Amino acid sequence: MKYLKLVNFEINRFFKLYMVLVGMVIVSQIAGVIVESRSFIKEANMTIRELGLTYTSYAEDYGSLSLGSIMRSGWFVLPIALCIAGLSFYVFFIWYRDWFGKNTFVYRLLMLPTARLNIYFAKATTIFISVLGLVGLQLLLLPIENKLFRSLVPVDLRHDAPMSELFTFFDGLGIIIPAHLSTFIIHYGIGFMIVFIIFTAILFERSYRLKGIVFGGLYCVIALGIFLLPFIIVIYQEKMYLYPNEMFG
Amino acid sequence: MIEVKDIKKRFGRKQVLRGASFTAEKGEITCLIGVNGVGKTTILNAIMALTPINSGEILIDGKKLTKDTFEKITFIPDAITMLPQMRIADAMEFMRDYYKSWNQKRADDMLGFFKLKKEDRISDLSKGNTAKVNLLLGLALDVDYVLMDEPFSGIDIFSREQIAEVFTSHLIEDRGVIITTHEIHDIEHLIDKVVLLDEGVILREFNVEEVRETEGKSVVDVMREVFHS
Repeated sequence: MKYLKLVNFEINRFFKLYMVLVGMVIVSQIAGVIVESRSFIKEANMTIRELGLTYTSYAEDYGSLSLGSIMRSGWFVLPIALCIAGLSFYVFFIWYRDWFGKNTFVYRLLMLPTARLNIYFAKATTIFISVLGLVGLQLLLLPIENKLFRSLVPVDLRHDAPMSELFTFFDGLGIIIPAHLSTFIIHYGIGFMIVFIIFTAILFERSYRLKGIVFGGLYCVIALGIFLLPFIIVIYQEKMYLYPNEMFG
Repeated sequence: MIEVKDIKKRFGRKQVLRGASFTAEKGEITCLIGVNGVGKTTILNAIMALTPINSGEILIDGKKLTKDTFEKITFIPDAITMLPQMRIADAMEFMRDYYKSWNQKRADDMLGFFKLKKEDRISDLSKGNTAKVNLLLGLALDVDYVLMDEPFSGIDIFSREQIAEVFTSHLIEDRGVIITTHEIHDIEHLIDKVVLLDEGVILREFNVEEVRETEGKSVVDVMREVFHS
């Protein structure tokens, strides 16, 4: 119960910053679809007028526009990169904000009549919910953007792709929104594991300061070593015990 | 009773506590006195398990601290432990949310006594008022023990008087209080027991009334004797 209260509390603390990220993704991607579509049509219309072409012949000679190509533009890539950067920063900030400044709020958290592990899990849950929230937002936005794209660009000038294909247009999106559930679990499993490792390293540092940085660093190296063990075994034994898919993780 | 038994604490190469032992009874105000940096705050942090100790033992009513102990003991540090963007009302709601021992009526009474406004933001409060809110958040818990770290440091004379007044009221009665200070004057007449600390060891532990009666000495007299010898 107190764990859920803490999750709610942590989410509220991150909410404003998170909404900035959400807003930025929505505005930039929708604007991207509109701006890129309009400029493509404008250019196409000019050429068509100059050379007396039809939409179909223009598309044949100069190529059509796909949502995929817009997705590879900065309009899409930049907000996603900023979200990744923002959340990565928050993985650290979610802890350090409680120690820094005049108010050492961490004292209050550590003195709550609840298991201290709940604080750790509440902070981790906040990160996970935020990440999955942004992925969900992207999944919701894509069909909307697709509809918008179709309404803006005439059928002869565009290349329509099914939704599943859209994800493969842009490599990064394939990692963020994989085509298979198993890959999704593996990608996010690794991501969340890394968050746990970083959290633990941060707590080493916070508990033992300078010595803690060494402990934390060692802990990260050991954890990473265990994760990479399948690869290390392959390199040293030149034998494959696992399928590549299982190893990729 | 809070029992601090032979605790040692080292920060890097610096040995801050070198086997400190003392007890603090329920219903008494115990004052930890020593100059800055002798380990007063470290002792309070250790009692609340906010810093790990290298050796020794701390018992609260005969038991080691667990998560449930935080419903029995509270710590009021020298800086407020609430988010600066919170309003006083939010801070009280936070406490009510997490502590079964939160006593809203007492919180409201204290709010009136200190003339604080619920809707004020913590970051906008004066130093004196911040200290009062800090005190309120700790004392409105129905706990048996209260630890206070330098409640009088750096605040104006009127706020100090108001805070000192709290010590004689029902807010403190029957509880066990450990208070640290390096300025004894504000509370000399209020305290029951004194623990003199220097360089990580307890130099003397005495009952104020007893010493006054048997030796005819005030707290400051004993301090002079101990610290100057």
